[in-house]
Amino acid sequence: MSRFISTPIENTGIGLRAQHYRDILEKKPDIPWFEVLSENYLSAGGLALHHLEQIRERYPVTLHGVGMSLGSTDPLNRDYLKKLKSLAERIEPAWISDHLAWISADGHYVHDLLPLPYTEEALNNFAARVDEVQEYLGCQLLIENPSSYMSFTESDLTEWEFLNELTRKTDCNLLLDVNNLYVCSQNLSFDPVLYLEALSEGRVKEIHLAGYEAQDNFLFDTHGQRVHPPVWELYEKTVNHLGPIPTLIEWDTDIPAFDVLTEEAGKAQQILNAGSLHD
Amino acid sequence: MTSLKDLQKEIRDAVFAKPSDNDALETASQHIHGDDRITADEHLLIYRQAILSTLISALESIHPVCRQLIGEQFFDAMARRYVRQSPSKSPDLGDYGADFSDFIAGFEPAQTLPYLADVARLEWAWHQAFHAPDETGSGLAELANVSGQDTPLILFKLPLSASLLESAYPIHKIWQVNQDDWQEEPSVNLDDGQVRLIVWRQHYDIRIDPLTDQQLRLLKAVKSRRSLEEISASEPGLPLDQTLPQCVKNGWLASFSLKQI
Repeated sequence: MSRFISTPIENTGIGLRAQHYRDILEKKPDIPWFEVLSENYLSAGGLALHHLEQIRERYPVTLHGVGMSLGSTDPLNRDYLKKLKSLAERIEPAWISDHLAWISADGHYVHDLLPLPYTEEALNNFAARVDEVQEYLGCQLLIENPSSYMSFTESDLTEWEFLNELTRKTDCNLLLDVNNLYVCSQNLSFDPVLYLEALSEGRVKEIHLAGYEAQDNFLFDTHGQRVHPPVWELYEKTVNHLGPIPTLIEWDTDIPAFDVLTEEAGKAQQILNAGSLHD
Repeated sequence: MTSLKDLQKEIRDAVFAKPSDNDALETASQHIHGDDRITADEHLLIYRQAILSTLISALESIHPVCRQLIGEQFFDAMARRYVRQSPSKSPDLGDYGADFSDFIAGFEPAQTLPYLADVARLEWAWHQAFHAPDETGSGLAELANVSGQDTPLILFKLPLSASLLESAYPIHKIWQVNQDDWQEEPSVNLDDGQVRLIVWRQHYDIRIDPLTDQQLRLLKAVKSRRSLEEISASEPGLPLDQTLPQCVKNGWLASFSLKQI
């Protein structure tokens, strides 16, 4: 039997950071949902998990991870999946997500989301692994588009074609990171609006917003700043096109005061509300 | 055409290659699009830079005292060397660095600070305790119900979060004076002598408790899964009647079972 009231996520959530546990537990802010980095809660105990369980009593939670390495050709890491499953049983997340990426080769983890060549081989490999993980965890996954700083000469599909084929083959859903999409479109020179218009209907179940850092000749995705104006613009177009999809403010480095995150969430919510009127 | 598996290995090799080794970078960059603005090599170097700094930051966040003792630059250079030769074997970044202290012990430029490796061991133990699972056993409540006949068969267990440490240097004091909330004189006498410690978590509180030689002997014997009877035999001269109650009282023994004969 479920320990928590099961509620689907809606509106604008915030990425949960350890720095804000106290703000949230003491002030009980009116936030629709929180997202947590799965890897921070994989040990079966300790203070972090204790705080998360307290927060879960009051708010819906989604689990967002970087550890599945779904694009890798290594065997799936059973130990990791087992821990993730225990966490999911404990927290009862609204969604479990990971990335269109690989993080390991030959058993060696790089702890960064490396992009794939978009080929038939990579697609079949990715899809087979998504199938296996979905069956093991007993739920549909959300797969997120990563920020990329390189693309492969081998690719014969676009990223959106790859994602559309993936959702068709595995019935997984998508997490569209609008910041990542913008960063990729700038780094790899393509039109991000074409990308989002080409995505299969009804598959995007969650959106991420975050800030990047402009370097000399590329955009670097740090998730350490406020959302940039061109990303807000692209987000508005996304909401107009896809409808009011639940959206998350993500902030992973140089974590600011909780109020900064709620301000950013407020801005996203205004755009979501305006998007609802279009429907 | 290169298989996905080989392509991924080539990229991994390019990321972890020494800066002087251009071959790995060239092999991998053949697969990457480059243009006037940014070359194929440069694309890959963005990943090299990001990946190395993620791993170095992970080591920094687990070892803040070591970093403070040797300074940011020295720590960064030492960690960079470690990262290039020590692959991460787990998708959980929190598992990375288990043998960093062994690496430090053998790292030539750090030999002037002979206690550094032991401080790293202490910080790793703290990190382990923080992330350890909660105790799920029934604790020691049933101890009073064990019959006199069964007492020799008692197998104690350390807390799941516990690490036992010994050092020829006062690493506990070194750790303490490098904490933000340390109010007293920030000096340590390296001749203060050796320490024996247990690092563990009591509820949600991480503790570093000093041990006597006898307490450490008992806890080590418990850790190697010896029953009370076996400990009496293997540790002659250890006053179990005194040491055992001390360890129980301090919470260093978390649960027990009876050895099956």
